[in-house]
Amino acid sequence: MRPHLPWFSKNGLALSAAAVLSAGLVAACSSSSSSSTAATSASTSASSSPSTKAPIVIGASLSLTGDFSADGQAFERGYQLWASDVNAHGGLLGRQVTLKILNDNSSPTQVQTNYETLFAQDKVDLAFGPFSSLLTTPSASVAARYGFALVEGAGGAPSVFESPANMSDHNVFDVSLPIEDEMLPFVSWIASMPASQRPKTAAYPMADDPFADPPVQLAQQQLQALGVKTVYSKIFPAEVASYKPAADQVAATGAQVVVLGSTDVPTVAAFIQAFQQQHYNPKMFICAAGPDQGAAFTSAVGKPNATGMMVPNGWYPGYANAASQAMVQAYVTKYGGSPSDVNADVAEGYSVGQVMAQAVTATGGTDNAKIISYLHSGVTLSSVQGPVKFDSLGKNSAAAAFTFQWQDNGTTFKQVLPVSAAGSVAIINPKPNWTS
Amino acid sequence: MAREIYQAIVDGVLVGGVYALMAVGLTLIFGVLDIINIAQGVLVILGAYLSYVLSTRLHIDLFVGLLVTVPAMFVIGVIIQWAFIRRLRGRERTSMTLLVTYAVALIIEGILYEIFGPNPKQLNASYVQSSVRIFGFYLSDIYLYGFALAVLMVVAIYLLLYRTTFGRSVRATMQDETAARLVGIDVNRVAALTFGVGVAVTAAGGMMFGATNSFNPNSGYDLISRLLAIVILGGLGSIGGALAASVFMLTVESLVDIWSPEWAIVVFFAALVIVLVIRPTGFFGRQPVRAQ
Amino acid sequence: MKADTVKAEEATARTRAASVSRQRVVAGLALIVLAVAAIEFPLVFSSPVVTNYAIYALIFVAAVSAWNLFSGFSGYISLGHAVFFGSGAYTVGIAARDWHINGVAVFALLPLAAAVGAVIAVPFGLVALRVRRHTFIVITIAVFFIFQLMAYNFSFTGGSVGVSAPFLPWSPTSFNDHFYYITLACAAGTIVIAFLIRRARFGLQLRAIRDDEDRARGLGVHAMRVKLSAFVLSGTITALVGGVWFLYLTQVQPPSGFDPLFDLSLVLMAFLGGLGTIAGPVLGALIIEPGQLYLTIKYTNGYLSEILLGVLFLVIVLFVPRGLVPTAGEWIRRLRTRGRPASGTVSPATSAPPAPPEASEAPAREARTT
Repeated sequence: MRPHLPWFSKNGLALSAAAVLSAGLVAACSSSSSSSTAATSASTSASSSPSTKAPIVIGASLSLTGDFSADGQAFERGYQLWASDVNAHGGLLGRQVTLKILNDNSSPTQVQTNYETLFAQDKVDLAFGPFSSLLTTPSASVAARYGFALVEGAGGAPSVFESPANMSDHNVFDVSLPIEDEMLPFVSWIASMPASQRPKTAAYPMADDPFADPPVQLAQQQLQALGVKTVYSKIFPAEVASYKPAADQVAATGAQVVVLGSTDVPTVAAFIQAFQQQHYNPKMFICAAGPDQGAAFTSAVGKPNATGMMVPNGWYPGYANAASQAMVQAYVTKYGGSPSDVNADVAEGYSVGQVMAQAVTATGGTDNAKIISYLHSGVTLSSVQGPVKFDSLGKNSAAAAFTFQWQDNGTTFKQVLPVSAAGSVAIINPKPNWTS
Repeated sequence: MAREIYQAIVDGVLVGGVYALMAVGLTLIFGVLDIINIAQGVLVILGAYLSYVLSTRLHIDLFVGLLVTVPAMFVIGVIIQWAFIRRLRGRERTSMTLLVTYAVALIIEGILYEIFGPNPKQLNASYVQSSVRIFGFYLSDIYLYGFALAVLMVVAIYLLLYRTTFGRSVRATMQDETAARLVGIDVNRVAALTFGVGVAVTAAGGMMFGATNSFNPNSGYDLISRLLAIVILGGLGSIGGALAASVFMLTVESLVDIWSPEWAIVVFFAALVIVLVIRPTGFFGRQPVRAQ
Repeated sequence: MKADTVKAEEATARTRAASVSRQRVVAGLALIVLAVAAIEFPLVFSSPVVTNYAIYALIFVAAVSAWNLFSGFSGYISLGHAVFFGSGAYTVGIAARDWHINGVAVFALLPLAAAVGAVIAVPFGLVALRVRRHTFIVITIAVFFIFQLMAYNFSFTGGSVGVSAPFLPWSPTSFNDHFYYITLACAAGTIVIAFLIRRARFGLQLRAIRDDEDRARGLGVHAMRVKLSAFVLSGTITALVGGVWFLYLTQVQPPSGFDPLFDLSLVLMAFLGGLGTIAGPVLGALIIEPGQLYLTIKYTNGYLSEILLGVLFLVIVLFVPRGLVPTAGEWIRRLRTRGRPASGTVSPATSAPPAPPEASEAPAREARTT
């Protein structure tokens, strides 16, 4: 006799209970999250006069936890610094700026949920982008559906600009330097040397990441054309058991130049450690990322070892730009430390705010469609990272690429390339040997 | 080319030693408690952070600090087992232990993030960057010490298992839990203490990992998958197997690394799959008394 | 005397049959109400925020049910289902990219994703299902990593950049509504398939394997064939769901398509609801997925949410070890039979059908208890 499936009724009842429960849960979720705000209001102290107009609410999703949390938190500080500065000066169009920042835990599904919440529920007026090229594409899709401009500073990989949403709606704007061009000043500097003085050999280890690889690969092509022989060029997985084997291979080649496609400090630190153990001292060592992280970098590798390390960037704490200096001072006042400790992510976040502010002021409001056409109109804007002018894909074509180097025994971070650019100091070449 | 190969083999063996330190604890726990401890990766990182605190705040040498961290982690291990794992039983035990150990990992990771933040740290000592020259190769000091430590640990655990009464109870429990109970062995106590020992060894692994890599609370996840692979390959419960498998896997990876770093890790896991297909119990694993 | 006993037995059997059919009517009605509610849902809760939660919840309902179809029923815990999920996502993405498919036509690629899932599942299953328990788990993990790494390394998968979905120019509300109905169909379909399998001999064979594989083999069950079929079916559905997920998120990359924590989430959701039941995975997914997304927004600062999540898991495993559905079933049964004497008057020959396996968790054999 076949069991008469009491479990069927149990499952059936359970299914309906489940559905009712979850519908209630979902409805409760969405209605209650509008009342509780995870907002970080950026209106400051007594200096700001209470505004009678409604505040401008700007929403953003950032990686405050998870894989990208170190950068995400630095970005948050950049956004917040900008907002408090703007409010201290009377706000935008006389309205105070309120930031609403949600954590996406470095997860794409959470990023999408966050932006849906920000646009449809919290009804933010404007949107800032998330951190990293990996999270920008889903955010751009959501923003495109809602007709929002997405101004961001950390999604510079070609994949972001070529994403279908951007190709169709052109709503992504990256205020920072497009990454492929990063190594150009370095290459030009080598090209400027007489052929006999140029380095003979170069190694190109790269982490498998859309941010790190394009600039290094481009540099490899160009340096090869200049007669610099490639003795090592490999991509290693971003998560690897140990960087030692790759680093040891580079050391074994004895290359005079190392162009490391790194995305973070630990990669650089691991390579330096392996090089030290192998008693290998490259004459020039430039990394895609890592040395630009201020104190996080020097404390990981040690100040003396930081000397001579180079990194391309669109910004550094000593940048001779009034707004930039003011921002650095404000940061140090608020968070402590010294100017060299300021992470480039802070400047990127701050620049996003500045660009948006100029667009809002110029269009006289928060109409996203107008802002998008304004930003694509070829106008040149200013930011703490220098001039900003967007091409049709949303890349910043006016961004100047600079190269920076740690000097003075790892205590100062100076602009060294292009040699002729204003503010460049003498470059240390060759890089001093490692000290223990 | 030959030089590169020798260098790769040397690198593989040395790095394998570090991984052995981390894997030995895991295989012991496997063998006695019959569970997959997903928290092992985070526990390694916890050990690294403990060494970090001792080294930066109290300026205690990394190896000397082990005298503190190893017993501390032992206690932590016993507590975890006693509080959470002891009660898991029944048919769904496998998934329950997966979830519980995952939960413990999340909690420890969250606490570490709260205390230390997301910025990566690394353990430093005078010998971390130095190296000694042998036969024309530079062998880094820290890895040599680490390898020696791994061998020391393996020998210590071997002695524990084969020369002490406690060790005998552990081996009996590994072989057949019901029979062990019948002979009067307090299986719960054995389980708790073994878990403690497994986690204590991890303290040493954590110190070595922290000295040779930058780490932050998130680093545990990549570790656990490799450790699981190593442990299964070596044979569940086999200490020597864990050491052999670590060295083997890391050497293979290091060799493939010469040709292509991207594929080296794939080879790591593919090798595991191949070996398991041929020999499901791994290198030195025992046939279980009753399959499943 | 005998006649009296027979009459009494017949009466009891009739009462029992009546109560069972009453239960079935009630349950049937409940399901109809449920179906109507599900279909009306986006019309009542029209905000895209709400439908977004619902879509992710339904994606996981389908994924967990598919996972449970294999792992819950057979007892082989797979931590490699992300292989199918990611492969489905990449299949749709790569096909759309290389065959230049745009607009609504992309949805026609979903059956292709399912087919790819099936094709991968066969060799995967043949290799993995030869071993048991922990070794099986670790092989699934190893294959998972192999796939993730292949996604990084090959250029046709886009490397670390991944693949983007063609842009669908719909308004937020209609975009979400379309995906709501698609995911609802996937979820409903998976539940129906799980239900049908449970009723069939196939389901019985799976459960026999779960309880004691060697004995099942001895009784004539073709273990490998049964396991493999369940595995392939489970993989096919998971790949389909992965394709839908990809089209909704508009992007897949190695770490998101092949997410190491994906499988652990499936285990948790199935476990919360009740491993091996039909409604269990549904309940687990409906609670945990939107819950997780929402909690990350609500407790947006600090790592508190992570710690809380871990504590929550511990509470679930330690206090609801059999899952919500079986535990609730127990309570309901206790409530209903409260005060009634045990059915001792019925002779064993016509006794009530044995309680279903998921309600009585008495292990069929000695289980390890440390």
